[in-house]
Amino acid sequence: MRNILFAVAILLAGLGLSSPYHFQLLTFIGIHTLLALGLNMLMGYAGQISLGHAAFYGIGAYTTAILTAHFNWSPWLALPAALFLAVLIAFLVALPMLKLSGYYLGMGTLGFGMITYVLIREWSGFTGGDSGLVGIPPLDIGPVCLSSGRACFYVVWGTVVLGFIVCERLVNSRVGRALRAIHDSEQAACAMGINTAQLKISVFMLSAFLAALAGFLYAHLVSFISPNTFDFLTSIRIVTMVVIGGMASIWGSLLGATLITLLPEWLHIFSDYEMVVYGLVLMVIMIFLPQGLTRGLLDIYERSKRRAGVPSTTAKG
Amino acid sequence: MSDRNAELGSLPPLLRVESVSKAFGGIQALHEVSFEVAPGTIHAVIGPNGAGKTTLFNIITGAYPPDEGGVVYAQQEVRGRKVHELVSLGIARTFQNVELFGNMSVLENVLVGQHVRTRCGFLGAIVRGPWVRREERQMREYSMELLEFVGLDGVADHRSSDLPFGWQRFLEIARALATRPRLLLLDEPASGLNAVETQRLGELLEEIRKRGVTLVLVEHDMSLTMGISDRILVLHQGKKLAEGTPREIQANEAVISAYLGKE
Repeated sequence: MRNILFAVAILLAGLGLSSPYHFQLLTFIGIHTLLALGLNMLMGYAGQISLGHAAFYGIGAYTTAILTAHFNWSPWLALPAALFLAVLIAFLVALPMLKLSGYYLGMGTLGFGMITYVLIREWSGFTGGDSGLVGIPPLDIGPVCLSSGRACFYVVWGTVVLGFIVCERLVNSRVGRALRAIHDSEQAACAMGINTAQLKISVFMLSAFLAALAGFLYAHLVSFISPNTFDFLTSIRIVTMVVIGGMASIWGSLLGATLITLLPEWLHIFSDYEMVVYGLVLMVIMIFLPQGLTRGLLDIYERSKRRAGVPSTTAKG
Repeated sequence: MSDRNAELGSLPPLLRVESVSKAFGGIQALHEVSFEVAPGTIHAVIGPNGAGKTTLFNIITGAYPPDEGGVVYAQQEVRGRKVHELVSLGIARTFQNVELFGNMSVLENVLVGQHVRTRCGFLGAIVRGPWVRREERQMREYSMELLEFVGLDGVADHRSSDLPFGWQRFLEIARALATRPRLLLLDEPASGLNAVETQRLGELLEEIRKRGVTLVLVEHDMSLTMGISDRILVLHQGKKLAEGTPREIQANEAVISAYLGKE
């Protein structure tokens, strides 16, 4: 139901808007939402941190860019290749890495992100190195070219809706409950017969899949990519989206991605002090809504409702 | 109760621990401990703090392997098996300090307990076909039955960490039962319970045994242990001090002196 409303809202927004600037901004919000959604499955639900998530974003983008721009593949053939490669690398990385936990996993994934970034930058024969990779063809379906602002918007947000449906179904299933169980107590999850190692690897692969999908869309919509889009700061920004929006909340990914994408645009008026205000906004949100926007706002709503009506429940024994 | 012992004595044991030893650094936590648990019985493990009771539990459930010795469960050597594999073979446990999934509801905790008896995976969850919905419905029904069994059906939708401590213990038992175990290990199930709750626990454990589950419990509450156990194993400083029926243990000189601190 919520997803239908969401889809209708997207449809209306696409029809109502006309400014290319707005379309571009919304398209980026959509791509960031996909990134945040993937990381939220890993971090918010399963409780496994990744500080190198931009790597999978980059792998998705560069795989499709190289295959289409250098080897003239159709983007639709490059898509499964990009997704497959990202998921395969995620599997190989997760195998040794997810034995770590907490800070150590953070450091491990950070290292992986940096290695990927350096590879992209230095392997200039393929990737164009620092000067970037140009000439990535736009997406098209038969004769319809999807390079206009409105078409891009629909492609990206259509993908976001699909991603939401998939993740929502996962979260409310046996698999999703097992993920949340790992987050709350890995020891007890094991004692329930959950193969925690295998499940953590699977969800890592899922989040890499979504990041690579975002990378694919980004590459074809922007038609030019350079290594800096996939650096350490991007990884941190994705983590920030998840934390600000709300851990273990699918809609939180949307809120977080929206805020983190829009904030720099709004803060232009502070010119020199832009980054200071940016940091302050994040601090204030974390201090007053440590659970993130979604959970925080819900809590405020519930508290006000409780104050108005029934006191907290106690049940039979 | 001795009748039941005689009657079940002919069946092969459900669990056989064979001279298990385990050291942590320089500390010998367990030294050549052996015992057998007949199916359908309640077996208690008692002993002063640091006697190696929890270590014994962790070895039986596969949390870590013994340094020496073996564990035979249902005529099968299970030494070195992983925890989650043993759960699917029918060994479930509860924890000394209650390890619930605190952010999940009471019902969800029991649903997770059924993980090993259900099969919906990533693809199944995304497609959500008829069999997945049927499985989900059956899981919910069975979970509610178990919650009713332990008396928590009225709080199914509450966050588990919001429950009073005693109720959390009962929830943990319901969650362990959801794995459909043949052997259930309870690590100090009565600690933190008041007198009324402890009595209810005793009745509940009897009830669980009647349903065909074999119980092994570590417990400090002597009236509970003596009241419900068929056999008792006494550990002292990592070694087996005595084993027998509650009456035998109560009369055992070595046990009495160990508990009173005489040497």
